[in-house]
Amino acid sequence: MNTELIPALDAAGLPGPPWLFHFLLVFTFFLHLIFMNLTLGGTLMAFVAHLRGGRRLTDPNTVFAKRLMGVNTYAISLAITTGVAPLLFVQVLYQQYFYSGTILLGWIWFNMLVLLMIGYYAAYLHKKFRGPWLGVSAVTFFGIAMTHVAVHLIHVQPGKWAQFDTSALSVLGDPTYWPRLLHFVLAAITFAALVAAWWAVRRARAGDDIELNTTIAKTAWRWSLWSTVLIMVDGFILLGVLPKPVLLGVMRGGLAILGPLTISILFGVGLLMMLARVSNPVEKPGLVSGTLAALTLTIAVMTVTRHQVRVLYLEPATSQFQASVVPQWGNFILFAVLLVLGLATVFWMVRRVLTSPAEGDEAA
Amino acid sequence: MDYPIWDVAMGGGVLMAWVAVTHVIVSHFAIGGGLIIVVTETLAVKRSDPELRELARRSSLVLILVSTVFGAISGVGIWVVAGLISPGAIAALIHNYVWGWAIEWVFFVLEIVAALVYYTTWDKISKGAHLMVGWLYFIGAYFSLVVINGIISFMLTPGGWLNSHAFWDGFFNPTYWPSVVLRTGICILMAVAFMLWSAFKAEADRRSEVVRYLGWWFVGGVVLSYAGYRWWEAALPDTVKALFLGEAPTLASLAATRSFTLWSLTLGLGVTVLALLLAPRLARGLTAVVLMVGAFGFFGGYERLREGTRKPFLIHSHIFSNGLLVSQIDQINNEGLAAHSGWVATGDPAPEAFGRRIFAAQCSSCHTLDGYQSIREVLPTVSDMELVAADDPPGSGAVHYRTQCSACHGEIGYEEMAEMLPSLDEIREDPEFIRELNLGMITMTMIELKEMGAELTAFDRGTTFDMRQLARPYMPPFVGTDEEAEALAVYLASLDSAVAGHAAGGGE
Repeated sequence: MNTELIPALDAAGLPGPPWLFHFLLVFTFFLHLIFMNLTLGGTLMAFVAHLRGGRRLTDPNTVFAKRLMGVNTYAISLAITTGVAPLLFVQVLYQQYFYSGTILLGWIWFNMLVLLMIGYYAAYLHKKFRGPWLGVSAVTFFGIAMTHVAVHLIHVQPGKWAQFDTSALSVLGDPTYWPRLLHFVLAAITFAALVAAWWAVRRARAGDDIELNTTIAKTAWRWSLWSTVLIMVDGFILLGVLPKPVLLGVMRGGLAILGPLTISILFGVGLLMMLARVSNPVEKPGLVSGTLAALTLTIAVMTVTRHQVRVLYLEPATSQFQASVVPQWGNFILFAVLLVLGLATVFWMVRRVLTSPAEGDEAA
Repeated sequence: MDYPIWDVAMGGGVLMAWVAVTHVIVSHFAIGGGLIIVVTETLAVKRSDPELRELARRSSLVLILVSTVFGAISGVGIWVVAGLISPGAIAALIHNYVWGWAIEWVFFVLEIVAALVYYTTWDKISKGAHLMVGWLYFIGAYFSLVVINGIISFMLTPGGWLNSHAFWDGFFNPTYWPSVVLRTGICILMAVAFMLWSAFKAEADRRSEVVRYLGWWFVGGVVLSYAGYRWWEAALPDTVKALFLGEAPTLASLAATRSFTLWSLTLGLGVTVLALLLAPRLARGLTAVVLMVGAFGFFGGYERLREGTRKPFLIHSHIFSNGLLVSQIDQINNEGLAAHSGWVATGDPAPEAFGRRIFAAQCSSCHTLDGYQSIREVLPTVSDMELVAADDPPGSGAVHYRTQCSACHGEIGYEEMAEMLPSLDEIREDPEFIRELNLGMITMTMIELKEMGAELTAFDRGTTFDMRQLARPYMPPFVGTDEEAEALAVYLASLDSAVAGHAAGGGE
């Protein structure tokens, strides 16, 4: 491979072994995906439900939309917060490729921030004023997804940088662009829908507005079912259109690569079966929780596969560079300890809040 | 310098300034606001004071809207812009301080979750639990500052790190603790400037009391800010201090910024004493606006000083803002920039086109063609020569010479230069001759800039460089072969003909 356009590795070297950063990148990206799925999938579904509900405030569709956007009050913030860590680790591992990819996109990459700002504030404005704001949010979040897929495909293909330098938008013609985008969007919808179904089932089982929550649970369940069907189809298309060397790399990757991929496919089929055999999820709360847990696990495994595909894409380039390693173990341990303490504090805080309800003069 | 170049007409530095300035204002407000709001709520609970509670509650809405939305996004924005305009430099910073950033992220997660919980649980949970969330928010926010301050202050004063390259030597650098004190004060100033708007909504009979309460916070912020600032100045290396302090500062504009900075703080203090403490009933929206101007002026001035004194480095004495490492200077001079960067090597080999790519790689992180730090404006042109030679009206030639030419011809006065110059008619008859002359001058400057590299490599790498010894203390050296220097000169000289309507140089 011609590496002429690939910048040099940073002279400082990696402040830890590569495997550690690969792990942290994948792990934190998985965390990010959880909230990103809620944000993107939730907003897209909420927009459709909002349109279907019209001006009827008690319509189950309207309540469904309101509930999804209620979750987004937290999910958007947490998607950004959890997105910071993989953004950091990708820069450590793939600085040469990632920065080049973002520079070739230039203003499109920068405008992702503008879209995020608009989408976020539009979500708040929707809560306050309704009107067109939910549509604005949905469009901007979809635009951000498009940008991320674009930068990913550009950064993993340094052999095409000269072409992208002439026209960054030519990435839209990459055979994997649309299947990859669709894969992420559908996965986001499936996850957000299942979370909504799970929540509605819990409320219905607790006797809270049973009819409404049953309707919402069924609607959300159907969203999950059909988006999972489409993901399966799209997933195989995506696999088929991968560049030949990458596809061969997957096929010849042995247990390390084929294992996670096979597990993901099997989980996908299993999810379909679980989703298809239930028409009223309120009657099967255990299965609903199990399906959500299985989907979360599938996302975790698919995050590994996605990363492995990136490694295969970049292998011809990365194999020509040897990064030096200058570990800072003490600092890593400090980070790990603080991470554990920080997350424990967050859980403790949330737990304390949930167990301290108060009203009237007793309340804050 | 070996990355592709993002061509921003307004200048990458300007874009970065916009994103960074808005982020630091909001982020400091988010920290100071966290402190004042939770202290206010604590007092409200202890005294059963509904007005203080309302002040905390109203302010928390602003906190959530700006901190978790704008603060978080603009914070990511700084990385995004830095990666776009100075990828090599930000990569160097991240490879040294990734664990610092990772630790900051942990506190950031705590901060954001606590902020969301705090705002959404008013009237829903017990007072004790709510206060606990508020304090956790402040701890998360403040410690994220304590961590990131180590990296920011390191960039200006890397101190012992230059010698050891050890994480903590750079983190606890000479200006670390002064900056912590200074930024703590700034956080409080920012918070009061925003929270005053909420205070004005208090019930009429309590309004003065609430306004005065915030006034005392502002005074505390001024005391911390001033003490931190003076400590920060004292902790700077002498070579950096000399740039803007003393009787003959090297950079007059930075000396003026220092005056502006301190007068802004004085303005803020004066308004606070008069309008918030002595006559709080007179405090109105205009008072808050003036206070904001004072607080922002002080903060902006300090940040300008910090950035200005660091120029032309990203990490002082280690890496320049265009991504050039001091340790690379000799290597690139020997091998050439094209051997180092495929983006420079690939393309039309004609000198002008080659020079354009060299300009993009070496100069465009600071210079635009016609916008901020316009390169065209500082280049000698035929029109400059005409204006100096014409001297019409009398005296204008000297003025033009002083503003456009004396930066490079400081040793030659206007009268002397006027005698050497061809006449106006001669210039108009043969402008190509003048362009040749200009090309020669630009080439000489390139050589001078390249020689600066040799001086830089002669410095002791373990100490902060004394940039005053250099001909252009706020510029990186030119690096590359003599042929590359000539190609860059050809491109720069062609910018004059581009203005004159000839073949336009690229890169616009």
